[in-house]
Amino acid sequence: MANLRDIKRRITTVKSTQKITSAMKMVAAAKLRRAQDAIGTARPYATRMRATLEEVSKTPLDETHPLLAVHPEQRHLELVVITSDRGLAGAFNSNVLKAADRLLKSREKEFGEVGLTLLGKKAGDFFRRRRPHQIRYESPIGGDVRYEKAADVGRELARRYAAGEVDEVVLVYSQFVSTLTQAPVVRPLLPFTPPKAGLVAVSEDSALPFEIEPDPAALLAALVPKAVEVEVFRALLENQAGEHAARMTAMEAATKNTQDLIEKLTLQYNRARQAAITRELVEIVTGAQALE
Amino acid sequence: MALELVVVTPEGEAFSEAVQQVVLPGEAGRFGVLESHERFLTPLVRGPMQIIKPGGATEWAALSSGFAEVDGQKVVVLVDGCALKSEIDRDASENRRAEAARQLALLADTPENAGERLRLAEVAARAELEVEVAGL
Repeated sequence: MANLRDIKRRITTVKSTQKITSAMKMVAAAKLRRAQDAIGTARPYATRMRATLEEVSKTPLDETHPLLAVHPEQRHLELVVITSDRGLAGAFNSNVLKAADRLLKSREKEFGEVGLTLLGKKAGDFFRRRRPHQIRYESPIGGDVRYEKAADVGRELARRYAAGEVDEVVLVYSQFVSTLTQAPVVRPLLPFTPPKAGLVAVSEDSALPFEIEPDPAALLAALVPKAVEVEVFRALLENQAGEHAARMTAMEAATKNTQDLIEKLTLQYNRARQAAITRELVEIVTGAQALE
Repeated sequence: MALELVVVTPEGEAFSEAVQQVVLPGEAGRFGVLESHERFLTPLVRGPMQIIKPGGATEWAALSSGFAEVDGQKVVVLVDGCALKSEIDRDASENRRAEAARQLALLADTPENAGERLRLAEVAARAELEVEVAGL
């Protein structure tokens, strides 16, 4: 039977762990709400952007736009892998990294070279050990997601694509499905495919076509790089919301586990205490009987 | 009836108010929009935006590139970023500009640095515009 004091000490340790996990859960819940708000505030911009792209796409598309052109030769694939900076979020990061690793292995045969753009420290840690020579760009997310960050990444990818350094760009990140579900998704980014008409509900005022100045090609040239940045931004935002949701769920489970453990230990403690008392009583009674 | 101006950025709505006139930085030069302007769509470049409010007061803002959707009653400006003059910290912007320019000067113009140079040039240009708008 374990020593009374040992059990007491373990209960104290588990209790302090519980305090940490439940605090982390609370923090994650608050951050999740903020992250969901950020997705909400980004939506009007993305929706308008799409609607405008559709508007422009109605007139025959300028196929020569460098970001829309499909490269005939497939030599270099670039994978953009997005994870969080921190762990303790259940299988959140490892799901994405597994998906990315699988994709990397399966497409290596088609492409002569596969480069990696890694956003989030966990992606960096994972691939730095496995594929150190394939990393082209690496950066932590660093606190709240800013559009500037997405713009930097998007601009750089677009530049390399237009220059012919890469022939295809694919995003791998966690889609925020719901608080309980985050699924890794693989989404092609470049060559960019403009949205098909009809995907966005047409507002009542867009019955009249817009006059486009100076011409659709110029507007398209301005829009496409932005649309690429917006895609990256959306992926970053979903990743952020998913991270906090996953951490919240993981910490909730951890808190529950510590609770179970505390109950088990308390029972053990009480049993041990009871046994000690019984033993003492037996000793006293035996002592008294010996005197008679 | 006045013109409704809405500035939308990826980080939310930066401005939404009824105005008398707005002057935007178009690709072919600055252009003003008054009420009942014809419907059109045009790309915008980085530059100052001038807002003339119904009472005649003028407000300035630094716009990053994007585009504008104009129709008779409403102007929707979609840009990467929009900083109102009142929100700009001139000294901070000036420091950012100087720092980016300093780093840019240190970076050799080689193909490996092309991406980073582009990024620094972007930061510098944005900060420079903020300084300019703050001084208007």
